[in-house]
Amino acid sequence: MFKKVLIANRGEIAVRIIRACRELGIDTVAVYSEADRRALHVRYADEAYLLGPAPSRESYLRADKIVDIARKCGADAVHPGYGFLAEREDFASACADAGITFIGPRPSSIAAMGDKAEARATVIKAGVPVVPGTEDVGNMSDEELLAKAPQIGFPLLIKATAGGGGKGMREVKSLEEMPTLLQSARREAESAFGDGNVYLEKLLENARHIEIQIMADTHGSVIHLGERECSIQRRHQKLLEEAPSTAIDEELRQKMGSVAVKAAQAVDYANAGTIEFLLDKDNNFYFLEMNTRLQVEHPVTEMVTGIDIVKEQIRVARGRTLSYKQEDVQFNGHAIECRINAEDPYNNFLPSTGRITHALLPTGPGVRVDTGVYPGFEITPFYDPMIAKLIVWGETRAQAILRMRRALEEYRIVGVRTNIPFHQTLMDSHRFMGGQYDTRFVEERFSMDTASETRENNTEIAAILATLVAHRETERMANIVNRNERDASNWKWVGRWERMHR
Amino acid sequence: MGGTLGKDAQVGPMKYITTIDDKQFTVEIIDEKHVSVDGKVYEIDFESVAGQPVYSLIVDGRSHESYIYQGDDNWQVLMRGRLYPATVEDEREKRLRAAAGGGIVETGEFHLRAPMPGLVVAIPITEGQAVKRGQVILILESMKMQNELKSPRDGTIGRIRVRPGETVEQRQTLLSVV
Repeated sequence: MFKKVLIANRGEIAVRIIRACRELGIDTVAVYSEADRRALHVRYADEAYLLGPAPSRESYLRADKIVDIARKCGADAVHPGYGFLAEREDFASACADAGITFIGPRPSSIAAMGDKAEARATVIKAGVPVVPGTEDVGNMSDEELLAKAPQIGFPLLIKATAGGGGKGMREVKSLEEMPTLLQSARREAESAFGDGNVYLEKLLENARHIEIQIMADTHGSVIHLGERECSIQRRHQKLLEEAPSTAIDEELRQKMGSVAVKAAQAVDYANAGTIEFLLDKDNNFYFLEMNTRLQVEHPVTEMVTGIDIVKEQIRVARGRTLSYKQEDVQFNGHAIECRINAEDPYNNFLPSTGRITHALLPTGPGVRVDTGVYPGFEITPFYDPMIAKLIVWGETRAQAILRMRRALEEYRIVGVRTNIPFHQTLMDSHRFMGGQYDTRFVEERFSMDTASETRENNTEIAAILATLVAHRETERMANIVNRNERDASNWKWVGRWERMHR
Repeated sequence: MGGTLGKDAQVGPMKYITTIDDKQFTVEIIDEKHVSVDGKVYEIDFESVAGQPVYSLIVDGRSHESYIYQGDDNWQVLMRGRLYPATVEDEREKRLRAAAGGGIVETGEFHLRAPMPGLVVAIPITEGQAVKRGQVILILESMKMQNELKSPRDGTIGRIRVRPGETVEQRQTLLSVV
């Protein structure tokens, strides 16, 4: 068993991994940036070491420093979480070279799947269907891409070769707008991954984004843990995931599952991974990419299978066999995850920063919250806007939706704007309830206004509340200005005034 | 001026005109426990929760909770997943505004301010350039996302106060459109 694991990440996922280690009796090591001194993962870990200034490049992306800290503190293993260094083969290799286990796949598998163009070529060879696009491995110039685009056909997508998470991705409707979009995609990819290479892929319309969780050990066993429906997206960022998908029956699940297993085997995969597919309305599915790491949305799979994916990752990283065979994997009930982002849904989802002054978390039956923030913590512009994941389980999808509504209503976060009202509006949308949605739903057929009309209208109560608050504010202002009428001594007054302005 | 307001509040009930989505309510604050809306009196119990802008209001036995924050020129009441933007004016303010003629001026200088702290990635326009409404005039990176800031109307770019690569604070003026 590992004695000590270093978690090369921050936020909710670092906390999630610390929890798994704690339950297994493994000591934990946190690393942090100057902006994260007070972060929850630092508070929860047994040991914590400073990486550097707030920007990721100078902290969480400093592979050299992290390996150095791991070596000095005597960690047996490093868990990379998701994002940052999770899909960097050089980091996985550096850990191995230092005699530290990387809790993830082999560097060669990360490399094969990490380069999106190479990944496509590999899975095509294994007989896995892919979305039509550029087959050339990276490095295509703008001229070459512009020449190739009409053959693929519009609309199409520009995607970052080193990409993920929708960064460096642009949708192109015509050849005329393509040069500008190429430029901005390359710029975003360069800043997010340090690699401005892009490729093209045909944009499938009315498609769903379905992914299959796989788990593999180093002895050649590969199993799948079913699908996750991830079509609720905005600007290619997932906002909500659920399992199972309403679009998938048992037959299709097994078919996609075995194709996913085949794709993983094609790169000699070990540990947890996810194969992303697009599913069209005729139930044809196409390989999009493989994420060679733990996913943000892994909890929905944990809720319906009862399998602790992080613990299983640690187990196979130690060289043990998987705890489950394919036939042991059973699906029970329905799970939904809402990503709670510090974004204002009433102001074009602009990121919101500031100090969280108050937070009340939903609890009760069937509710799980994975978060890295707490009252008093400052949300900075340096990292991802996701501050929490709210996950619920229900016996049926309908019960899960009702429970999610209840939990969202209980959730209070004050100090930053969050997208909780977006999720509440989504839970009330008839199309969502009916499971009738695809990847374009949020951007094209959903609005905070129209969906709100079906909600209970409490305008009169809102008017009373607004008036009472405004009245209170007016009185407070009046008391400050109206010095001559103070009833208290000057010193008392100064004390009160200072307290008010703290 | 504020002093007069304070005195008014003590002398008699305060009367406010509160508007939400074109709906007007005349709300009178009678005392700590009573308000009237368009003449109808309600018994209320109003508390802020733990000193936060989260308010609990019990009206005739029905319990409501809301997160209320100040917008640019109104109050944002967030209740049960629904946002009610409310303007609250006392009678004097209402009369003043009516006298001024109201109406929003579409001309004059528009100052583009940073909606959040971040890094200026690109400024795809130059000083003196004519721009259309909705045209991207600055790209600001925050929380690893590149946000395109657009011109709110047709006009000409005035002074550009920042450069690509510069880190900016929230509400910092970036450039102007005249």
